Amino acid sequence: MPFGKKVQNKFKNITDTNLLLMITIVVFFAMYIGAILFQGKGFLKPQTFFNILNANASLIILSCGMSLVMITGGIDISVGGVTALVSMCCAVYLDFHGGSLFVAILIALAIGLAFGLVQGFLVAYLDIQPFIVTLAGMFFARGMTTIVNTTPFNVANESFVALKDTRIYVPGFGSVNKLGKYVPAYIEVGVVVALLTVIILFCVLRWTSQGRKFYAVGGNSQSALMLGINVRKTKFLSHLICGLLAGIGGFVYFMHVGSGSASHASGMEMNAIASSIIGGTMLTGGVGNIIGTFFGVLSLSTIQNIVSSAGLDQAWWTGITIAAMLCLFLVVQSVVIARKKKTLKNS
Amino acid sequence: MKKTILIIISFAIAALCIVAFVHGKDTISLYDTEEAQETISNESIVIGFSQLGAESDWRSANTESMKTTFSAENGYELLFEDGQQKQSNQITAIRTFIQQEVDYIVLAPVTETGWDTVLQEAKDAGVPVIIVDRMVDVSDDTLFTCWVGSDFGLEGKKAAGWLEQYLAKKEIAAEDIHIVNIQGTIGASAQIGRTKSLEEAAEKNGWDLLAEVPGDFTQAKGREVMKELLCQYENINVVYCENDNEAFGAIEAIEGAGKTVGSNIDKGEIMVISFDGVKEKAMTYVLDGKISCIAECNPLQGPRVQAIINLLERGGTPDKFYYVDEGFFSADETVEKVTVDGKEYEVTLLTQEIIDERKNEFNA
Amino acid sequence: MNSKSVKSVNISTFFLKIFRCQIFIPIAALLLLALFNLIVDPSFYKITLGYNSAGDPVLSGNLMTILDYGSELAILAIGMTLVTAASGGQDISVGAGIAIAGSVVLRVLCGTNSRPDTLQAPIIVAFLISCVVAMLFGAFNGALVAYFKIQPMVATLILFTAGRSIAAWINNNELPIISDPTFKYFGGFIPGVPIPTPFFIAVICMIIMALVLKFTNLGLYTQAVGINESSSRLNGLNPAFIKFITFVILGLCVAVAGLIKVSRLSSINYSVIAKDIEMDAILAVALGGNSLSGGKFNMTASILGAYVIQFLTTTLYKFNVQSDALSAYKAVVVIVLVVLSTPVVREYLSSLGKKLKNKGNVKEVG
Repeated sequence: MPFGKKVQNKFKNITDTNLLLMITIVVFFAMYIGAILFQGKGFLKPQTFFNILNANASLIILSCGMSLVMITGGIDISVGGVTALVSMCCAVYLDFHGGSLFVAILIALAIGLAFGLVQGFLVAYLDIQPFIVTLAGMFFARGMTTIVNTTPFNVANESFVALKDTRIYVPGFGSVNKLGKYVPAYIEVGVVVALLTVIILFCVLRWTSQGRKFYAVGGNSQSALMLGINVRKTKFLSHLICGLLAGIGGFVYFMHVGSGSASHASGMEMNAIASSIIGGTMLTGGVGNIIGTFFGVLSLSTIQNIVSSAGLDQAWWTGITIAAMLCLFLVVQSVVIARKKKTLKNS
Repeated sequence: MKKTILIIISFAIAALCIVAFVHGKDTISLYDTEEAQETISNESIVIGFSQLGAESDWRSANTESMKTTFSAENGYELLFEDGQQKQSNQITAIRTFIQQEVDYIVLAPVTETGWDTVLQEAKDAGVPVIIVDRMVDVSDDTLFTCWVGSDFGLEGKKAAGWLEQYLAKKEIAAEDIHIVNIQGTIGASAQIGRTKSLEEAAEKNGWDLLAEVPGDFTQAKGREVMKELLCQYENINVVYCENDNEAFGAIEAIEGAGKTVGSNIDKGEIMVISFDGVKEKAMTYVLDGKISCIAECNPLQGPRVQAIINLLERGGTPDKFYYVDEGFFSADETVEKVTVDGKEYEVTLLTQEIIDERKNEFNA
Repeated sequence: MNSKSVKSVNISTFFLKIFRCQIFIPIAALLLLALFNLIVDPSFYKITLGYNSAGDPVLSGNLMTILDYGSELAILAIGMTLVTAASGGQDISVGAGIAIAGSVVLRVLCGTNSRPDTLQAPIIVAFLISCVVAMLFGAFNGALVAYFKIQPMVATLILFTAGRSIAAWINNNELPIISDPTFKYFGGFIPGVPIPTPFFIAVICMIIMALVLKFTNLGLYTQAVGINESSSRLNGLNPAFIKFITFVILGLCVAVAGLIKVSRLSSINYSVIAKDIEMDAILAVALGGNSLSGGKFNMTASILGAYVIQFLTTTLYKFNVQSDALSAYKAVVVIVLVVLSTPVVREYLSSLGKKLKNKGNVKEVG
């Protein structure tokens, strides 16, 4: 077969998941390279990239959970609220009750699990729409955050501050700053947690049977039922894992900001959804890739960086750019779906 | 084939977005190399300004002052970041400034605590940090170069002192005074200073401090909390608003409830005391008697910061704390001078000429 | 004995009919709240006639607050009900839409000077322009949902993210303030009329919607599309167009609500205005007993639901619940409501009811 034909066949056989993933990765690299070319200076430093990871470790974890739920055909908009609640509860526990760091982590996990449990039960076993259940969950979490403690405050607990300020130095990526000092590149503890989450979740979805079940239920729950998959249990599990990840992500967020406040993580659930969509997860379910979500988060953050380094007011321009990207990706997704339907009809 | 087209189109759109952005900034073209960028930055001083938000007229005037002072014509490049009232946004902004290797960082912090880590990073990177408006509470004073702002405690003491003298001259008993305090954003230096002064004065004079509620320095919140307070308490006669926007909101709520605003407490009017005095509307209210007195808070900090930066550029060392001179306004002639801690402050009697003068100065 | 059992059956079927009626849910919630307030503190219902600073008579009190703020919600609920019924999803961009509409009104009235002494254009013109803009954004949402077949919640996510930024950009991130007193009428009081104006505006909208539903086929078509899209297409309807039109109508409602909100303050605060109002609007629709996945709807129930939500909010404020903590209570209410209306729970309750009835019957026969 001539070489051109071979390449064309390869392209034809790409599944939709892979196609969307490729688009995401291409867009991210295009943006980053563009940033380096046009804004230069700051973007050439590897620390810039590491700062993106540092600032968004919690978003990565939350988006992974969100992607999982979306792949299974549902949605969870309570993750931002849970993050804020976890931050506030841990902050209050550490400072007002003088607790230990280990117990604080357990509290974070417990809160996340509790939300996942209740929401999963209501969605899977009572057949209530996930949107309304998680909307109520978000309301509840935000309200409870204020009830737990009304005013925002910074945590002074020593062991926590030590953990917060821990830097893991990455050898070889440092740079020389204006004063002539060599500053080594570093990442925070949260980034390690985030990367582990991405890898573990990716492996589960790709190579375990439960992972396949998530895709099957999201793709077509009727056929999944007929295949003998326990649809209810799968949906319940997806919400449970999302809740647990929200708890973990909440603690990572808490480690990054070091304070408890009712206005933390506001809008984070929307960022998680946007990242997932940009990363190639389809809302209708059955299609999605954790690696894509990871790049989606990076793309979102790169936009913010580009906007602020261009001197534009980050607060307003970021919103518009993210919305434009979201629009673009949604349109691409719907075109892909329409094409899929057509090929199904033709075959 | 269709898939390939799709990929190419998305790539093109993404690249287009980036190009559009950069052209929007109008400084760097497609053919500029890194050396050209370096020469631009050598000529102008790059300043990263992390403003905490845009919640009040004072804040907008402050931002405007900084932007006009540090304009491109004057030889500066200003990177402006609006923190939208969140500390995490401001910390990210400072980190971005350090990355972008700005020459100076100016920070208007939204709260007092939580800045140790990021200020240490700035110090390690050799970037001087100038704090404006609100204070930071750090363990090590060398983490910032200097601070420019108002003495909020003094403003509060002036207002409380004015009230004390007014009551004495009008012969109104201290026990008859029922005050509510609509506070600013909790944790902000302005709020801490002004609230503390009121609490101390209330205790010293025996005033009945009914409630202290946060109003976030905004008009909408001020109105909301005033409405609730009016429902809760029947006998409020003095409202201590920690900024003008809250005062506007409170006055709306009071008038909406059918009560009258004014200085004649003995006739059942509710007295409103306020801070800032930036907008013409606030000063007009004072002239109309709606706001009984305003302790000025000067937002034009741009020139002062510029002077400090010029000093630093020449290699000098600035003082640690710069307090801005501020006045005190009222349209009521009862009190002429307020004495605080042994020092006398004159109460400026407000007239239309003074308002017009200030209008030109502030462009309000 | 026969007549007795027939009588008891008649009474129980009468009650069942009431319970089954959709509008029962918001009425029950309203009665519950009213009773609760009556028991705890009857002064909640006090209405006082006072005079505002301009010398006009105004009624004030908690009931007035409910009528005032609940009316904004009711107007939004009208549009949101149609959108939910036709497309089975919700529009979460209404808060951002209100910010845009309010921003447009202020821009037209202020021109380029952000502190004008006189209005640059009649208020009607400003309102009409904001209607057009809001309907355009509604059309954008509608196109994404109807023609690109994107889920409504996600399609409206775009405007939710970008809307407030667009609103700030319209006015160059300034905070224009209008000092003309006639502008305040829409959100406040018309001189001489003691009842707040938003209530009248809401009544007008309700009348218009009632006339439209009665004299056009909008209600029938919307419900048909929502219940079964493919069969409605086979019946000759154009489901895409119907969905599109519902979003445009919601855009119109958003413009009206935007005018009211901006008129209250005579100014705007981009990040704060209409915050979380989309959640309240969705709650109102849910409280009205409408299915959130589309289909049949009852407009009156939604409007009543809006006022009940406001009643709940005001009650909670009275108990000094902070506005941020409010949402926790609303969440519990929503969950209880939704759980009670699921088919699973309903079956369980009706089987319980049947068991009790059977027990009674067995007694009678024996």
